[in-house]
Amino acid sequence: MPQLELSHVSAFYGDAQALFDIDLLLEPGEIVAIIGANGAGKTTVLRTVSGLVKPRDGSIRYDGKNIGASDPWSVVSMGIAHVPEGRRLFKQMSVQENLLMGAYHRKNAADAKTDLDRVFTLFPRLAERREQLAGTMSGGEQQMAAIGRALMARPRLLLLDEPSLGLAPKIVETVFETIRKINREGVGIVLVEQSAQLALETAQRAYLMENGRIVKSGHSTALMDDDAVREAYLGL
Amino acid sequence: MFSMPLSLFSEQIINGIVLGSMYALVASGLTLIWGTMRMLNFAHGEFYMIGGYIFFLLMSSLGIPSYLSAPIAIAVVFVAGIAVQRLAVHPLLGRPQWEFSTLVATLGVSIFLQNAALHIWGERFKTVPYFISGVVDVFGMRLSYQRLLILAVAVGTMLAMWYVLRRTRFGMALRATAMDRDAAMLYGVNVYQVFMLTFGIAAALAGIAATMLSSINSISPWMGAPLMLKGFVVVVLGGLGSFPGAILGGIIIGIVETLGVIAWSSQWREVISFTVLILILWFRPWGLFGVKEEA
Repeated sequence: MPQLELSHVSAFYGDAQALFDIDLLLEPGEIVAIIGANGAGKTTVLRTVSGLVKPRDGSIRYDGKNIGASDPWSVVSMGIAHVPEGRRLFKQMSVQENLLMGAYHRKNAADAKTDLDRVFTLFPRLAERREQLAGTMSGGEQQMAAIGRALMARPRLLLLDEPSLGLAPKIVETVFETIRKINREGVGIVLVEQSAQLALETAQRAYLMENGRIVKSGHSTALMDDDAVREAYLGL
Repeated sequence: MFSMPLSLFSEQIINGIVLGSMYALVASGLTLIWGTMRMLNFAHGEFYMIGGYIFFLLMSSLGIPSYLSAPIAIAVVFVAGIAVQRLAVHPLLGRPQWEFSTLVATLGVSIFLQNAALHIWGERFKTVPYFISGVVDVFGMRLSYQRLLILAVAVGTMLAMWYVLRRTRFGMALRATAMDRDAAMLYGVNVYQVFMLTFGIAAALAGIAATMLSSINSISPWMGAPLMLKGFVVVVLGGLGSFPGAILGGIIIGIVETLGVIAWSSQWREVISFTVLILILWFRPWGLFGVKEEA
């Protein structure tokens, strides 16, 4: 059974339709990427899964269960963590408080401490800055904190929206290394990336979106060889 | 004013702080609502008024002693706050133009409550006796026990609020909602519950101020209006959404107003606070502790 399955999903912002008949699936343990230009609807797909946007049509199934009507605060307790576009950290809270907020939905506060230690081991830079206000950190540090916050939610599915945005190449390398590491531990990942190159190198399969629709999908290697993709998105 | 003996001057400063702490309580509720929901509550003065009337009802009509009447009145106002949020504000939140529709809705609630009070209790001002009578002499200053009690209650309330905001799970959820609503939702905060409880707490803070001040001022259907307006001035002075700002701002306004009334006359009371408002908006619109919001 797929871990995540979107069938014929359509979504609107007010009267404007943002998603048209989206079919997407993620098998357990996979990394799947969504690529496409700005405004293609990639972020909206993630927001529909996490519950910030309610689909008007179609179904969203997580481990077989229909979650289309669920509130975001319920979705996270089912095991889906969303790292939104722009990180969206709690800027006037410290790094540590931000991480603890990641574990907010969990009733058991005691094991949050062990998870905190694990995040600090994964991101030593964050440990150094644990009392620092999140809004004063560099882009790369904020991205690490945002991913750390998501990990504190103990997700089995991670939704990452443009993790490379605004980051220097060296930092991007580190962040993506961590993403692969998280995936190796069994967490499914839906990766939205503007950098098609990066997305296709990281994910096993990918979906190409244009104007709210999926226009192509397949294994990353196949898409990398596709002429239309190469011309439009890989600059080749 | 400047030829006053020191003891008299310090007495007035203390009175200013006492008055200011009450403004701070009213304002901190308004700033909490703005911070979490980004809306202005125009019914806030009526939470204060309900507090005063329920307090009066319990004390004068039912003969319940003040130390019980006050907590009960505050609890009633807390429930009233939740009810107003759930019935008048919540249904409007998902809809377009909610920043304006909620403002208008709370204005409607305000008018409704004022007239309800007028209908139930009439237009004659009601009074309640002091909690404690008498004065005490401290370093040559004559301070009434009532005013010292008010100060003690104010300080206690502020410490309790600090504890709730900084040391409880709910407080963390409230602060997260204020900083980034979407992110708060994504990590488990039911923001609709936060909104309801914020309204309840804000109303209760106004209710506390009402039980303290009702014996000094009197109780009428319109008693909340000037306090709400002053509350808005304090919120702007302290910085929209800043709880410490509301406290410091309230005390500043209280002191400035008390000294101003002595220097000029009590007819200038309202002019003073609004002059302060204009000056802030001119020189430092984000207030003392305001956070400049990013687009």
